[in-house]
Amino acid sequence: MSPESREVEAAREELARLRHDIEEMDRAIIRLVAGRVELARRVGAAKRVAGLPALDPAQEAAVVRRASEIAREEGAPEEDVRYLFWHLIGTSRRAQLAEA
Amino acid sequence: MILITKAEVTDAELDHIRERVEAMGARTHVSRGEQRTIIGCIGDESLLREGALLAIPGVESVMPVLKPYKLAGRDFRPDGTVVRFGDAAGTAIGGRPLIVIAGPCSVEGREMLGRTAQAVRAAGAAMLRGGAFKPRTSPYAFQGLGTAALRMLRDVRAATGLPVVTEVMDTRQVEVVAEYADMLQIGARNMQNFALLAEVGRTQRPVLIKRGLSATVRELLMAAEYVMAQGNQDVVLCERGIRTFETATRNTLDVSAIPVLKRETHLPVIVDPSHAGGQAYLVEPLAFAAVAAGADGLLIEVHPDPEHALSDGDQSLSFEAFARLMARLPAFAEAAGRTMSPAAARREGVA
Repeated sequence: MSPESREVEAAREELARLRHDIEEMDRAIIRLVAGRVELARRVGAAKRVAGLPALDPAQEAAVVRRASEIAREEGAPEEDVRYLFWHLIGTSRRAQLAEA
Repeated sequence: MILITKAEVTDAELDHIRERVEAMGARTHVSRGEQRTIIGCIGDESLLREGALLAIPGVESVMPVLKPYKLAGRDFRPDGTVVRFGDAAGTAIGGRPLIVIAGPCSVEGREMLGRTAQAVRAAGAAMLRGGAFKPRTSPYAFQGLGTAALRMLRDVRAATGLPVVTEVMDTRQVEVVAEYADMLQIGARNMQNFALLAEVGRTQRPVLIKRGLSATVRELLMAAEYVMAQGNQDVVLCERGIRTFETATRNTLDVSAIPVLKRETHLPVIVDPSHAGGQAYLVEPLAFAAVAAGADGLLIEVHPDPEHALSDGDQSLSFEAFARLMARLPAFAEAAGRTMSPAAARREGVA
């Protein structure tokens, strides 16, 4: 085996390993999303008892701001994280409304 | 509403401004310029109180946006958008280099696609076009090879390194087309298919929107707004001729739409001279006119044997005609203050 083909072989193995790691991470992310939605349902129940509406724009804006700050600290792309969080918040709010 | 920040605004101030706006029920988009940062606010403007916004630390001025397109509007991103294609170094639409996208109207087979890709690449094209799903006026005309054509595009892309743009006609096709294409094309006939626009917006893949046959510039920008509202900012607009009373040409290339669009939007604007004229001899002069008027790129139909093409043979260029056009193009690009795309320049050096 020539040095080049050994290098290509090693790169392929590395790629397979990384893809496996990504799959594991995706599973963890999805588990966390499910956990977040479950927490949101409980928040929804608490809000109903307290007589508060499901939609709370100020709270949502504060959550996105926090996500933005953490993204900067972690070196993650800030605008993309904001976008993901608006989506995640929408998912959580819909879960709360479905319970009502 | 647009907020313009003070020059020395900090991250913490920006966070605070955005939180305040978002707490009023709007969404924010930030565009960081060298001098100032612009925060675009999207949502019901009646919720936003100008006085309250001006009082937030870091805010210098507040401007209402009177136009219906906001994310697509030039005010939101004065510097102009550059749409980049990740794995092909140097391929971008919207920068100073002029980009040429070329290929057959429809993918008719593996061999013809491969030959065409090699020919357009050698002549300096930086991207490959090719229809897999074809919207035809007649249900009896050739409808394209579908998924088989997508696989051919993928293989030719791998062999030539040319990023691929292909049309998606239906929301049900979006996922499969996104699997193979670098840029998804919305055809002229689908420009106001709002469900399709939203669906391609969700893919977060660059989208090329062709102007509808009877669509105004404003309607074209609203189509872009639909895609951008899904969080997808990589949109390229394409002028391809509009329907007028003139029958000497297939459509009338609306050259004036190019400077109008460049003024109204930060999105890149390319021109399809093939569909505009409908005849091969018109492609070259219309291409030059488009570049002179400020287009960021061209979308040109090329076929190994235009006489026997299964679709749009009349307007397709032969390899030789395309190479002639590409040889004359740099002079027009230079006159318009542009360079040729790095891909084209590299090949010129080799030739």
